[in-house]
Amino acid sequence: MATDKTSFQLVVNGILNENPIFRLVLSMCPAVGISTTVMNGFMLGIAVLFVQVFSSCTIALFKNVIHPRIRIPTYTLTIATWVTVIDMVLAAYLPEAYAKMGIFVKLIVAFAIITMRLEMFACKESVNASFWDGIGMGLGFMFGMMALGFVRELLGLGTILGYDVLGFKPLLFFVLPFAGFFCVGLMMAFFNYIEIVYKRAKRA
Amino acid sequence: MKDILTIIFRLTVACLLAGLVMGAAFIVTDKAKKHNLHVNEQKVMFSLLGYSAKKPAPETVALHEVYRYIVSQGDVLNVGYLLPLQDGSFSFVTVDLSGAFVAQNPVNIPAEKVAEEGERSQAILASIGAGKTIRYADQTIVVTNGGKRTAYLLPGKFPGFKTFIGTILAVDQDFSILGLEIMEHEEDPGLGGEIVQEYFKNQFKGKPLETIKKLEVMKTPLPEEYLRVLEADKRERLDAEEVARIQEQYRDSDIYALTGATISSSAVTNGVKAMVKKFAYRLEILDRVLAEQHIAVPF
Repeated sequence: MATDKTSFQLVVNGILNENPIFRLVLSMCPAVGISTTVMNGFMLGIAVLFVQVFSSCTIALFKNVIHPRIRIPTYTLTIATWVTVIDMVLAAYLPEAYAKMGIFVKLIVAFAIITMRLEMFACKESVNASFWDGIGMGLGFMFGMMALGFVRELLGLGTILGYDVLGFKPLLFFVLPFAGFFCVGLMMAFFNYIEIVYKRAKRA
Repeated sequence: MKDILTIIFRLTVACLLAGLVMGAAFIVTDKAKKHNLHVNEQKVMFSLLGYSAKKPAPETVALHEVYRYIVSQGDVLNVGYLLPLQDGSFSFVTVDLSGAFVAQNPVNIPAEKVAEEGERSQAILASIGAGKTIRYADQTIVVTNGGKRTAYLLPGKFPGFKTFIGTILAVDQDFSILGLEIMEHEEDPGLGGEIVQEYFKNQFKGKPLETIKKLEVMKTPLPEEYLRVLEADKRERLDAEEVARIQEQYRDSDIYALTGATISSSAVTNGVKAMVKKFAYRLEILDRVLAEQHIAVPF
């Protein structure tokens, strides 16, 4: 079964129709834990983007030699390998970026979104399609994290990207982990609402 | 049965392949990574001492590394210091727990190899004789300017909220803190991770030993005027007199905890407190032993 979508449709699909956070509801732990600021969301998004693309391509490349009984361990192994390699390369050649991103890269090994994408998509599709799907999913995740980070940073710390915009801290509780659940829930409802409005407008 | 064998075989192959890729990446990147760490450490040390690219350290400034080991022989525990000597060689001085001199052994190791943990331990073991084991404890860097001691740099690790927090602490001859730098940590981003911020680290600056000994964290908001001074590098130019006055005012105050990260804040505070207290105690003993035994060190 090969996908008939173009590469552009695959990317858009990852960002909107199957957004990892708001539509697939995957990787809730990082979404809740890390999305306290826009910058954190962006960093984690970049890290996921790279690991997702590399892992998707690897699995799509080797899909015929992976025994179906051990596919999940193989996926985990692939992700762990890429995470480790990216971590080491960053530390060696981009120490400045590593100082900011290192902690996020190491978190990725256990992300559900990457394993799920390998299981749902990459193990059935071509390398090319998997590459674009990986990009779409990574961007979708980044978009979701940054949207969450925007709301939480603004309401929790009164800043955007570290710049003081409100001048005071409205509700500190928004940067604490449990408030992430409220944020995710409310924003999910918001995006569902937009979808309903959009569909209604289309029908009319 | 056949299935199980296939699975075992496939998994083994997959693991070996993954290991191979990671190993290759490690071999390729390790040297550059170590180099980066070293360069960064040097830069941090000089910046803690107040030198920067714009204001480089003068030629007369020298860093002397002292390595501390725990030496055990049977039930007896001693403390050993690997010291550089004035003639460029190295000596391992052992002191017992009450602070009395035990032994001095010359260590045969070239100066450029001293920084490498493995080679250093072997050279020490060879010099102190059989039947003893040594364990690396920590390292102190004595900073001299024209042969006179100006400061001490203390790299150290202590438990944080999640894992260990690695720091470098700079203190002057009277053990007042010159600066604190967080080298590595894995605290939560946005909460405990804020320990790397200027407004937290700079609170330690200038605190004298007497204050450090009873330093605590307090959960009151950071006053606005103090915050301005703590973040002076980032913000507008402040009046020097005003800065001095505010620094004086808060010199003996406790540490203002980070919002939502009291545990990380007190972990750093207690870590710094312990490092300075222990170092002041150890240095006194070491200095006394060096004077009594007439050991000529370059600091």
